[in-house]
Amino acid sequence: MSYVQMNQVSKAFQEQKVLDSIDMQIKKGELVTLLGPSGCGKSTLLRILSGLTALDSGTIHIDDKDVTPIEPKDREIGMVFQSYALFPNLTVTDNIAFGLEMKKIPRDDIRRAVGEMIELTGLQGKERAFPRELSGGQQQRVALARSLVTKPKVLLLDEPLSALDAQIRKNLQQQLRSIQRELNMTTVLVTHDQEEAMAVSDHIYIMNAGHIAQHGAPHDIYTQPRNEFVARFIGSYNVWSAEALGRIAPQVEHIGSKLYAIRPETFCAQPLEGGLAVTGTVSSVTMLGNITRMELNVQGQHVVVDQIHRASDWANVGDSTTVYLHPKDVIPLHDATA
Amino acid sequence: MTRLTRSLPMVAFAAVLIYLFIPVIATLLYSLATSWNKTILPEGLTLQWFGELFRDTRFIQAFGRSLLLSSAATIAAVVVIVPATFAISLYAPKLERWVQTLVMLTYAVPGVIMAVGLIRAYSGKGFSMIIIVFGAYVIGMLPFMYQGTRNSLRAVQAGSLMEAAELLGASRMKAFIRVIVPNIMPGILVSALLSFSILFGEFVLINILVGGRFETMQLYLYAKLNTSGHIASAITVTYFILMAILSAWIVKLTGRTSKPNKEPSAAVAEAAIPTTKAMMSKEAS
Repeated sequence: MSYVQMNQVSKAFQEQKVLDSIDMQIKKGELVTLLGPSGCGKSTLLRILSGLTALDSGTIHIDDKDVTPIEPKDREIGMVFQSYALFPNLTVTDNIAFGLEMKKIPRDDIRRAVGEMIELTGLQGKERAFPRELSGGQQQRVALARSLVTKPKVLLLDEPLSALDAQIRKNLQQQLRSIQRELNMTTVLVTHDQEEAMAVSDHIYIMNAGHIAQHGAPHDIYTQPRNEFVARFIGSYNVWSAEALGRIAPQVEHIGSKLYAIRPETFCAQPLEGGLAVTGTVSSVTMLGNITRMELNVQGQHVVVDQIHRASDWANVGDSTTVYLHPKDVIPLHDATA
Repeated sequence: MTRLTRSLPMVAFAAVLIYLFIPVIATLLYSLATSWNKTILPEGLTLQWFGELFRDTRFIQAFGRSLLLSSAATIAAVVVIVPATFAISLYAPKLERWVQTLVMLTYAVPGVIMAVGLIRAYSGKGFSMIIIVFGAYVIGMLPFMYQGTRNSLRAVQAGSLMEAAELLGASRMKAFIRVIVPNIMPGILVSALLSFSILFGEFVLINILVGGRFETMQLYLYAKLNTSGHIASAITVTYFILMAILSAWIVKLTGRTSKPNKEPSAAVAEAAIPTTKAMMSKEAS
């Protein structure tokens, strides 16, 4: 039985449909990510779940209770905003205590709960600081502590890490995930960063233009994209038409899809047993840190090849080169079945 | 030639300063002068006029009336306009257009026309004209209070703060009082001080609608202009000092701008400041 259930949720802003009959199930204690490009409706879906935005049609159940008509303040949902929305006039302690004070919890219990949260989020020594005196990462942790202290049923995170620089972001991703696991907190994360989604999620919903393009565990989504959008968004896949595939690799059995996806890193520089040889002209070579990306022109088809970076054995622009591909790595995209 | 063009702005600036400050300095000197008839500077200095002024119960009463009327109208304007502005900018932004129109209207109607209109509408119908002046004052403060409050709300991102507070279990009322009001307080204070200083100096409405029946400081000053120039100058100087204190307070609230990490309270107060320009254009009209 799922803990959070959304059925046929739709929303339009001024005739513009932003969410179209969304269904979603979230298990208790799961971290689910809504992933998609900006404007795909993921933040709107999150706001609808929180009650801050009203839905046009559909229902939302949390813990077997229909929360659709319930106001945000009574939904028992915690939310970390992209801008954190910390109260500038209150100290770290008072910010975290705010939700408990609203619930009229006894003072001693508040002090204890806030203390625990400060420890959990590693904010010791900052209790009396005001939000403006904190770094971005610290503010983010205060926002997290403030939403967790009331023990919400669901925690919503709206691009909580997007304003931070890469180093801190990686660090906080791990912290976030370990805190979420420790508290077994059902969490919905919104992000446009597929690496972040892959790193922290139990389950990913990929959204595009108000629809769910695909959902599943990170590994399944990455290895089995269902359509061109997911293939391109999640792993910068090469997407070939059936006709191009027939031209480049006639040996691959056609199984009736219009489009096929091939991950750039499945190409191999050495001949493979049962592998196909793909020969083309190098149009560019780019160093991306630990991998090198080579773009080939194979009979008019643009092909992207990623290889773990090695010192020298790469072709130069203009050279003709051959890479090898295993037929099992050619993934038919089902949603484009002919 | 280059020296001339370079010094020209300085000369012009100095000329403007002299033009603006000579009357002020002359008023100050006249309020302190024993007599000042045939000499360039006063013949002697004295605090006699201030002493006389502050011993005059009529002045103390007039000062008290001004203080009472202006502060009561300012408080009423804060209590009515701040929550209304909050509600409109967060929950009914479509109405902002209408509020803007109202704001423009308060500029468009000159004081004399307004006074005549109010007399026509309310005089002799059993209304106390002081209450009518009070109401006109409260409405007249709409531009300053509205713009100051709205800018402060924007500066603190009141929308997100409200949403955060609501998700933490606060009712809208509670969130407004506990979160929004403390954060926009510097802005409210600046708007209120500006409103107060405008109302304290208001003459047209109170003179035409109420006149001597409720003598405020401005009316007292007007009366004294014909009897004693020294006393009138002393009143003016007293008024200036009061305004200087208020202005210093506003500057203090909006100050600290040179700091790289601007205090949010200063940012809020500064956001309220565009009303100063509005005030000037209103005074000029």
